[in-house]
Amino acid sequence: MARVKFLCDADRCIECNACVTACKNEHEVPWGINRRRVVTINDGKPGERSVSMACMHCTDAPCAAVCPVSCFYTTADGVVLHSKDLCIGCGYCFYACPFGAPQYPKVGNFGSRGKMDKCTYCAGGPEADSTPAEYAKYGANRLAEGKLPICAEMCSTKSLLAGDGAIIAQIYKERVMKRGYGSGMWGWTTAYSDSPTG
Amino acid sequence: MKVFVAAVAFAVVAAVGVAMVLNSIQEPSSVAFTTSGARVSDPGHNLIGSG
Amino acid sequence: MPSSLSNLRALGAAIILLFAFAYPAAAQLSFRPTAEAVQEDQLLNALQRGDKITGRITIPDTRASSLIQPAGRDWRDFQRSRLPIIGGVAIIGMVALLAIFLMVRGRIRVDHGFSGAKILRFAGFERFIHWLTASCFIVLALSGLNISFGRILILPLFGPEVFATMSVYAKFAHNYLAFPFMLGLVIMFLIWIKDNIPGKLDLEWIKQGGGILSAGKHPPAKRFNAGQKGIFWIVIIGGALMSVSGWFLIFPYLAATVTVLQFWTVIHAVIAMLFIAAMLAHIYIGSIGMEGAFDAMGTGEVDLNWAKEHHSLWVEEEQAKAHGPSDSTPRAVPAE
Repeated sequence: MARVKFLCDADRCIECNACVTACKNEHEVPWGINRRRVVTINDGKPGERSVSMACMHCTDAPCAAVCPVSCFYTTADGVVLHSKDLCIGCGYCFYACPFGAPQYPKVGNFGSRGKMDKCTYCAGGPEADSTPAEYAKYGANRLAEGKLPICAEMCSTKSLLAGDGAIIAQIYKERVMKRGYGSGMWGWTTAYSDSPTG
Repeated sequence: MKVFVAAVAFAVVAAVGVAMVLNSIQEPSSVAFTTSGARVSDPGHNLIGSG
Repeated sequence: MPSSLSNLRALGAAIILLFAFAYPAAAQLSFRPTAEAVQEDQLLNALQRGDKITGRITIPDTRASSLIQPAGRDWRDFQRSRLPIIGGVAIIGMVALLAIFLMVRGRIRVDHGFSGAKILRFAGFERFIHWLTASCFIVLALSGLNISFGRILILPLFGPEVFATMSVYAKFAHNYLAFPFMLGLVIMFLIWIKDNIPGKLDLEWIKQGGGILSAGKHPPAKRFNAGQKGIFWIVIIGGALMSVSGWFLIFPYLAATVTVLQFWTVIHAVIAMLFIAAMLAHIYIGSIGMEGAFDAMGTGEVDLNWAKEHHSLWVEEEQAKAHGPSDSTPRAVPAE
């Protein structure tokens, strides 16, 4: 079975935020929740690079490891999902996540941060696939329809790649060879320490 | 025994009071993370429920 | 030829000349963007412990500016590997120690038996504050332990749905009972600090092991002996640390970054384990560990013989206050 991953080619990213907008639209993400975001390093200086970052669906997911109620699970494709029914909104997954993926609907009171929300790789959640109940809780389930995440599909420069980890790693390597430079597969050693190259 | 019951009752009442105060000052993220330039009427309720 | 066409040709020539002069200049730009691009592995290697790779974002939530924070990995290792060991050793170790003590030493008896006469030890308000703090502590400790160990110990017994529902309510109880607990701590400090200042008598008491290990030995003590003073300061200092760390956890926006929050969770968790172990010892000695001890917080009045054996100097002070030194039974003092 394919092990899916995200790869953002920082040398192609133009910070257009199409990935962010596409994700927000596809899942009707409310204001204040940011499943995907674009971070620009060395902004305004030579060598400025932008990286589109969301949940990386890590191999040994730290969020799953620290969750006090064990509400996370990994699908056969390697997608890390969680159950909002079990989530107690404690915030531990945010402390552990290297990429800051978990989002909470309320601030200011540990007592009720609300249910954690994060990028689902457009794969929904534990509810039945492609039902209104699943959409209301987790957003669209594109993977069940055989489609890839909408952020990568909408990327204007094809810098954000999503799909089988081996295939997108190969695409990136070919790019680096052809153009002669590459700032790295951002987050891969942190997220996919078992096979950082695909 | 009386004193113990009184102490537990006081703790429960205090906790309920604190809960009411804290919940009234809590902000949804749509309010907390909105700058002055944005005008948000309906922040949306998908994914987070109506709460 | 028409003037517009000749103008056009002049313009075209000017542009071509401009390129001809500009091109060599362009090749001599002072920077090369691709060569100076940030490299992920360089940035990761240059990070100090606890540091993050950050950048500029358009989102008002400043926490989103963190691109990669490797410290989360260390925090996860602490939470799931080191903390259970610390907690297990502290709590199970203390339970084992107390069990062994009970088996070897047995229940500490009043050597001369109960006299039947009573002396007031704690007024109603003092008992109220103690039970307020203590009952909050029990719920706080259990709900806190649920966060650290519930997944390992309780989830397999009850299944995910029941466990999650229970954990939600435990978390609410933990967050909201923390406030009456903090109130109890402050008042406890104010009403009992003057009797808990360490002194030379306490050194003597400690040297004699408090008389705890052998029957018949009763080093003199005032209102609170050295062991109790130790418990007082553990509660005040431990409670203060729990309160400060807990304050940041319940109001996470007070912390600038997630790194600060990780630090406070470590403090909160480690101090909690040690605090619980200490309180287990306190609960033991105040209940089954020593006969006649529970009355102090139960009714407020303790047996006179018990008081003379364990707090002889305090009994003398109380009796001198209440009446002349010749009379051996104290005048009744109302509990409230």
